[in-house]
Amino acid sequence: MIEILSVTGPASVQDLGRFDQYRFGVGTSGAMDDVALRAGNILLGNDENAAGIEIPMLPFKLRFDRDMAFALTGGDVEAEIAGRVIPPWWRSHARAGDVLTIRALPRGARSYLAVGGGIDVPAVLGSRSTQFRGEFGGLHGRPLQPGDILPCAASTAAIGELGIEPAEITLARPNAAADETIVRAVIAGEYDRFDAATQALFWSGSWKITPQSNRYGYRLQGPPVKPKAPIEKRSHGIVPGVIQIPPNGQPIIQMRDAQTSGGYPKIATVIRADLWRVGQARLGGKLRFEQTAYADALAAEAEMSAYLERLRTNVRLIEEIRTCR
Amino acid sequence: MPIELTDIARLAQILERSGVDAIEIEEPGQSLKLVVDTGPRMAASPTLVAPAADHSVIAKADVAGHFLAAHPWRDKPFVAPGQHIQAGAIVGLAKIGLLYAPIVAPAAGTVDAVIAEPGATVGYGTPIVRIRPLSESSPIN
Repeated sequence: MIEILSVTGPASVQDLGRFDQYRFGVGTSGAMDDVALRAGNILLGNDENAAGIEIPMLPFKLRFDRDMAFALTGGDVEAEIAGRVIPPWWRSHARAGDVLTIRALPRGARSYLAVGGGIDVPAVLGSRSTQFRGEFGGLHGRPLQPGDILPCAASTAAIGELGIEPAEITLARPNAAADETIVRAVIAGEYDRFDAATQALFWSGSWKITPQSNRYGYRLQGPPVKPKAPIEKRSHGIVPGVIQIPPNGQPIIQMRDAQTSGGYPKIATVIRADLWRVGQARLGGKLRFEQTAYADALAAEAEMSAYLERLRTNVRLIEEIRTCR
Repeated sequence: MPIELTDIARLAQILERSGVDAIEIEEPGQSLKLVVDTGPRMAASPTLVAPAADHSVIAKADVAGHFLAAHPWRDKPFVAPGQHIQAGAIVGLAKIGLLYAPIVAPAAGTVDAVIAEPGATVGYGTPIVRIRPLSESSPIN
């Protein structure tokens, strides 16, 4: 078990998401940075869909009540276990009673804590992810609070400390400036309803990520992007990554806790392989969209899969080397 | 052509210099086998003698890879000379593929020197950091 000692902001239990209920209007939820959650689970030899804790604000403190392996991935954090500093994207081992303290997040927007065997809250509608909108899943369908006790599945055997290369390094994008995130996007349904100058404005803009950005969506601020004529549409199905343009011309990127439908015109969609980059973009930071062809979006996804596959093979290999000694 | 005594001496020198333990030469009517006695040479190895002489302990790599003195996300190296560290503290990383394997201090003490060059290829047992141990502690490896 894990006891939450202190928490800032809406930390929550998340797995990869709830994917089978979309047609009933149940959103996916799931880790905003799914690559980081997968990487943490790979480090621990867990099922990659095992639930972890998504931590968007610091400080955060918890106590392990028994010996347990854990991993920290996602944004760069200043973290300590029983006085030992934990490097980024790292797995370590806690003894019963050890306190994990995460103080600051100098890079990225979310940290992920994975534990050996995963956080064992009940699966609801096929997932352990917290669904904020519907208030179910995770722990009692809500953000974590001090005093919460999280059950953990059977822990794996004691394993040595090990780090992995953060996805941001392996999958680095060219021309990325500090504090500006560049994400690739394909054009969406109503793209042609914007004139060429407005389309160019959308692609060239360095959009500010406003404080009204969270697991539901990211609200961006910049020069207004408006269609040639007002667009009235009935609500229709949308997915995380869709970039909507409401009447004020300020884009909204729908994220993991978004509704499954909406009526605003859609100018573009962030490709799935870059959605984790949005999840790690900081409030107040800048975001730029890079127009991408569908084939390149698939290639980006293959590149992301190759990174995860290399992680799996590398981690397996070093376990074998260490076992042989 | 018979093998001369000077040839044997020269071959022995070559073996010694190149680190080859033995050589066998066979020609019609004669054969020669030279075996180098490696016992004394092992004992004279400087890496084995030096630590015992100055009581320092060495943090060594336990996998082959490239030595990283600092995490790529951090400017500050894991340790610097003069720093006090605990047994088990991470003193550097060996990067192998996408993995960062920790290199740990075998004993508590003061960092004497970071021996390995950042980016250098290291192997199993390569000395990375020299540590002056606290007098009351003993190495854990």
